[in-house]
Amino acid sequence: MSGLLVATLVLGLAGCVAGAASPIGIRTPLSVALTLAACAGALAVGVAVLVRGRAVSFHDQHLLPLSGFNLRLDRFGALFVVVSAGVAVCALVYRLGYDGHGLSSRTASAVLPAFVTTLLFVPSASDVTTFLFFWELMALTSLLLVLADHRHRAEVPVAGQWYAVMTQFGAAAILVGLVLLATHAGSQSFAAIAASSLHMRPWVRSAAFVLVVIGFGSKAGAVPLHVWLPRAHSESSGPVSALMSAAMVNLGIYGIVRVGDGLLHGGPVWWWLMVMAIGALSALFGALHSATSRDLKRLLAYSTTDNMGLVLLAVGASGLFAVTGRHALALVALVAALLHVVFHAVFKGCLFLSASSIQQATGTRDLDSLGGLLRRMPVTGSVFLVGGLAMAALPVLCGFVSEWLLLQSMLHGLPSKDPAVAVAMPVGVGVLALTGGLAAFTFVKAAGIGLLGLPRTEAAARAREVGPAMTGGSGVLAALCVLLGVAPFLVLPAVIDAANGVLGRRGPDPLVRGWQVGLSGVHGVLAPGILAAVLCAAVGTVALVRAAVEPGPVRVAEAWGCGRELQTARMEYTATSFGEPLTRVFEDVLAPSHDVDISHVAESRYYVEAATVHTSTDDGFERRLYAPAQRALRRFGTAARSVPNGSVHRYLAFGLVALVLVLVLVA
Amino acid sequence: MRLRTLVRRWRTHPAAIAPVESPPGIREAAARHRGSLQLRHVDAGSCNGCELEIASIFSPVYDAERFGIRLEASPRHADALLVTGPVTRNMAGPLRKTFDALAEPRVVVALGDCARNCGAFAGAYGVEGAVGDVVPVDLEIPGCPPAPEAIVAALRNLAGS
Repeated sequence: MSGLLVATLVLGLAGCVAGAASPIGIRTPLSVALTLAACAGALAVGVAVLVRGRAVSFHDQHLLPLSGFNLRLDRFGALFVVVSAGVAVCALVYRLGYDGHGLSSRTASAVLPAFVTTLLFVPSASDVTTFLFFWELMALTSLLLVLADHRHRAEVPVAGQWYAVMTQFGAAAILVGLVLLATHAGSQSFAAIAASSLHMRPWVRSAAFVLVVIGFGSKAGAVPLHVWLPRAHSESSGPVSALMSAAMVNLGIYGIVRVGDGLLHGGPVWWWLMVMAIGALSALFGALHSATSRDLKRLLAYSTTDNMGLVLLAVGASGLFAVTGRHALALVALVAALLHVVFHAVFKGCLFLSASSIQQATGTRDLDSLGGLLRRMPVTGSVFLVGGLAMAALPVLCGFVSEWLLLQSMLHGLPSKDPAVAVAMPVGVGVLALTGGLAAFTFVKAAGIGLLGLPRTEAAARAREVGPAMTGGSGVLAALCVLLGVAPFLVLPAVIDAANGVLGRRGPDPLVRGWQVGLSGVHGVLAPGILAAVLCAAVGTVALVRAAVEPGPVRVAEAWGCGRELQTARMEYTATSFGEPLTRVFEDVLAPSHDVDISHVAESRYYVEAATVHTSTDDGFERRLYAPAQRALRRFGTAARSVPNGSVHRYLAFGLVALVLVLVLVA
Repeated sequence: MRLRTLVRRWRTHPAAIAPVESPPGIREAAARHRGSLQLRHVDAGSCNGCELEIASIFSPVYDAERFGIRLEASPRHADALLVTGPVTRNMAGPLRKTFDALAEPRVVVALGDCARNCGAFAGAYGVEGAVGDVVPVDLEIPGCPPAPEAIVAALRNLAGS
């Protein structure tokens, strides 16, 4: 098996080389084929680890200097490898039909296989250096891919700058946190850190955990470090945005759980309350912004923040249960978290790919310029509908099962003597409920405005269905949405194994009873199969009754517009107007700005020539947190410029002062 | 004494209660409506005299709602179209669209002399014609304007109440 792991790495590198070196005609097919082979290898290794339960390792002293190159893929890591590989396979197939947005350049062709490979190997790293090596490589390659289209659109470099700064900030926090642990453990392998972490001083453990939550949280898009995510995910090309939103953000969750539960074996109550608070804030903030956004991919990106928030909520709840000694519930909450990671990857990959198909077919992501696409792009539209229903966590689709499990674990955690649990759980349930409602609202907006009605622009009216590679890549994920929603027992044992693996115990296996999902000692049972059968039967009955009962003659008439002579698609409901009530209710958070611009005719101010209205909602954190920080940095930079003024004497004085300081510190 | 005057003045008008003879098509429609008639009103160019009388049949004096006759905001919810005035050029299109928006079976009521035959406005430059020239009319209520009693009586026939 370790041979296959190495083969995966080699195939990924070969794809990278093929992308860089082969001639333009075969560049894309060759590099994508090699990367697909790498994904297949990773999928095989991951599934084998999950099925057999035995970790796969590979060690080499020469690949990386000083520390060596150490891989160890256990069940927990294997789950993330399988998810990443699955998403990558669909995104790469999609890539074969996708055209433009700078992905065909030599650089992008070389970097895409590297990015996919790092996604596959971050969860396999078993020491700090190897982990950080892959982590940094992942950040760099994804940054290059975000920037692939920088020549054509002015927003891309801005998105790239935000992403670069935030990802390096996060990486620095992770670096310091892991180095702190490695120093106190005396070894940098994860196994050694896990063995000695319980004997470390509390402040070391806490400092490392907080740093790691900051670092990995920024990758997972947790508020307030999420600002890069809506920009980078919406400006990058289709397959890359799917890979980032469905596979890369998961690794942030991987890091937090790996360090918090795997390396540090849990911690005090406030750690997990912090994680829950971050999760709740991210979920609400992401859901609100996704409900009021009119940019299709930005909407999906904010929804990623929302879903990762829910996962963090579940991770925090799991930690809290573990601290208060309720290990069965801790397992259920962690399983809910990991299951949601898997399901989110499936439906968000599907959504990002189909949204990119829509973007390619119409040339825009603005919902207010779309409309009527379900009739013009039936396959892509249906795929988007299925993914959106799963995002809204409706039953018989995959998002429902994980949210149901999370809700069950939090509800059953309620009778608690611990005040922290007794306060946190009801708040968590409320957040989950509100987020669920907002997600349904978001789905109605995206599908209703974008897919139904009349096309609002010429571009939307001319849209044609995209090619088979693109519909195939996104269609497989849509089919998985349905399959996993009806039959969650296909993945549930693997997820339970992974959760048990990282918690380091052989807990009970309470969640699967045949084809039902149930909790041990609790009456809550979910049978998605029966639910789906009942639903199909009900829909079938209604259809049969309708066919049997003679319908009257049907006359198709124009939509009622108060008898207005000229009715155009511009009079349709728009995404902005649909979200307007919500924007008003949450005015304090969303801070919408309205800008009315009226120009009068030259002869008289009583006659209006044109009136334009601009409405936008800002990211509150960007305005209140990042804008002041940027201003302060700029002021500091300007002030610091006066220090090196060109005088040799001053520079010599700096040197002397520094030398004296060093001597004092060393002595 | 004063209280009794007040009560008598606000009592509903007795003359409005008697229904009149009606043609067979209207009797069929009345059987369909079974005492519930939802109307969409279109002013196709009226002088607003008929509108005043329509308003008065829903006043406490005539109170047409007790016979199940109601004005609707949308033609989608209406059984019948109540048209007043001669059809002006600008209102001919909206009238056709409103008629088109009514679900079948539907009834068109031309209320007032202008709606029936353009009345005082016959031959005017802005007038396209009577209501019957634009949409098929099923029931006519004569008068300039028709008395509220006459309107209520005709609509009761149509409502079957």
